[in-house]
Amino acid sequence: MTQTPIVPAAVELVRVRKDFGSAVGVADVSLKIERGEFLTLLGPSGCGKSTLLGMIAGFLTPTAGKIVVDGDDITGVEPYRRDIGMVFQSYALFPHMNVFDNIAFGLRMRKMAKAEIVAEVRRAIEMMKLDGFEERRVSQLSGGQQQRVALARAVVIRPKVLLLDEPLSALDKNLRAQMQVELSDLHRKTGLTTIFVTHDQGEALSLSDRIVVMNRGEVQQVATPIELYRTPANGFVASFIGEINALPVARYEIDGTDAALALPGAGRLVAPARPDRGFAHGAQVRAFLRPEHVRPALPDETVANVVRGVVTTHIYQGSHTITRVEVEGIGLIETRVTGAEIVGAYPIGAPIALVLDIGQAVLLAAP
Amino acid sequence: MIQRRPFFITFLAPAVVTAVILAAALFEVLQYSVREFVPGSLNVGGFTLDNFTRINRPIYWWVLLDTFYISLLTAVFSLLLSYPVAFALVRAKRDWVRSLLVSLSITPLFTGEIVRTFSWMLMLGSDGFINSMLRKLSLIDMPLQIMYTRLGVVVALVQFSMPVMIILLATAISHVDRDCEKAAANLGASPGAVFWRITLPLTLPGILSGIVVVFAWTMSAFSTPQLIGGGKVLMISNLVYLQGFSVLNLPFAATLSLIALIAALGSLVLMKSLTGRLEKRLAIG
Repeated sequence: MTQTPIVPAAVELVRVRKDFGSAVGVADVSLKIERGEFLTLLGPSGCGKSTLLGMIAGFLTPTAGKIVVDGDDITGVEPYRRDIGMVFQSYALFPHMNVFDNIAFGLRMRKMAKAEIVAEVRRAIEMMKLDGFEERRVSQLSGGQQQRVALARAVVIRPKVLLLDEPLSALDKNLRAQMQVELSDLHRKTGLTTIFVTHDQGEALSLSDRIVVMNRGEVQQVATPIELYRTPANGFVASFIGEINALPVARYEIDGTDAALALPGAGRLVAPARPDRGFAHGAQVRAFLRPEHVRPALPDETVANVVRGVVTTHIYQGSHTITRVEVEGIGLIETRVTGAEIVGAYPIGAPIALVLDIGQAVLLAAP
Repeated sequence: MIQRRPFFITFLAPAVVTAVILAAALFEVLQYSVREFVPGSLNVGGFTLDNFTRINRPIYWWVLLDTFYISLLTAVFSLLLSYPVAFALVRAKRDWVRSLLVSLSITPLFTGEIVRTFSWMLMLGSDGFINSMLRKLSLIDMPLQIMYTRLGVVVALVQFSMPVMIILLATAISHVDRDCEKAAANLGASPGAVFWRITLPLTLPGILSGIVVVFAWTMSAFSTPQLIGGGKVLMISNLVYLQGFSVLNLPFAATLSLIALIAALGSLVLMKSLTGRLEKRLAIG
């Protein structure tokens, strides 16, 4: 399906700030969004991501800063003159109109000729696989269909930017996975600059070109999904993206080509010194280690970085099992191993030796 | 349900008592309407259908038509004046504006009909507030005749019914999904277009029920047309009063009451079916 080309716009936020009384909603966020990019604003509820989206759509006025789309400052422009499409969390379909009229609404507001409207809406309906639903009331549609109407309604106006405000959160799990695929198809087909707001890190990792992690109104890190997972910039990002074990604060000791983490009460963990870590000898650091980088030691195995503890919980997940181990001097450590063998091999309460792959750990300066 | 929760019957008792009394009263009215009028006596004579043939005179039909007309005007003007108030009441950003509007629109409900009507008489009379103001401003030489006219009656009835209309409209407006309005703006609708194409259609159920309620309520208005109309504007209840308590023709008053009841019920059924069809066409609900 080729539409007449949409010209995606570049968006720039310049020190955008939003105060709600004395509370800070968004604190001086600067951000450049490339033409055609799929950018995700990720963070817990109340982190300011929806506020930021509301300001881009024009429903909220920034306290300070400006919003630039394709070189034009649109900070003071009314929402209805912005040409920015948006899909709401509640979809916000018009209950008194059928599917066709919902999708045609934006085109009618643009005073497009009738025949053209019919053609454009038909195209959007085909693209979103809504054929045959034109005359339906929106209340007669399933959640997934409503979602597609909302998407069709937003893209049919050929917006410069597409905003998605947690559009998948109202769907059940299977439908959500399917809609993720459709969203990414839609982005590929239309090439729209897309800003996606979610609190679900899984959605963010699988859909985005880049992710902006936010917390308390501030940007924590802007990176591609892979960078974000592998090299989180701080403790918040490390624990927000995926599962991670935060080890106690340790002393970083350089010893020739090796470096060691001296954990108070749990001995030393050794790792090859990586120059990119850039810590000085004696620095206070905290290591973050993903569960997949922890495994049970084989019997009689003699390797470095083995810690001992007691199994407290197994969480069987089908393809893999997450096992929680209470390690003396460190605390709870999660390990993630394929299959279910670990459940039988180490019952709850059994002693277990774990190998920590410290080379994979993320080291961050401890405050 | 009733078997599993026997106390339901106890709960229904007040409704049953009310219904029985109402039915008995209605039966009594029906019974009176087919009795002969004995002039000079409160007792009634034997069975007759004369009362119903007597109804078929232009003067009575005019009163009935006038009642419809005044009720409809009242409903429409009450709607037009109440919508902006209800809208501001729901959407005002400041709390004190909202509370002020709520108390301003609800307090009239707590003053009796007579008190309110009397205030309107002070306002509308030839030496009343409106006329003396206009005269002081030299806008008129002769006082305007507002008392004892349909205009005066409608003005007072509109004010009388506005609280109810405002409550019904405010409920409807507060149920409008703000995201729908935002979505419309996002799709290019100016604030005016958002109102006409989204907000107004979505509040249509409230508008329709407001019109129906005020219409039905005004159909049975008595003291306002009695005092402000002063006998020159007759609504059906005033005619019933005239027949029943001045002429003391109770049988004919009963017949008129019956006709009024049937007319009111008939117009309500008609309105209900019209609004039902309209709502269905707009697919609300």
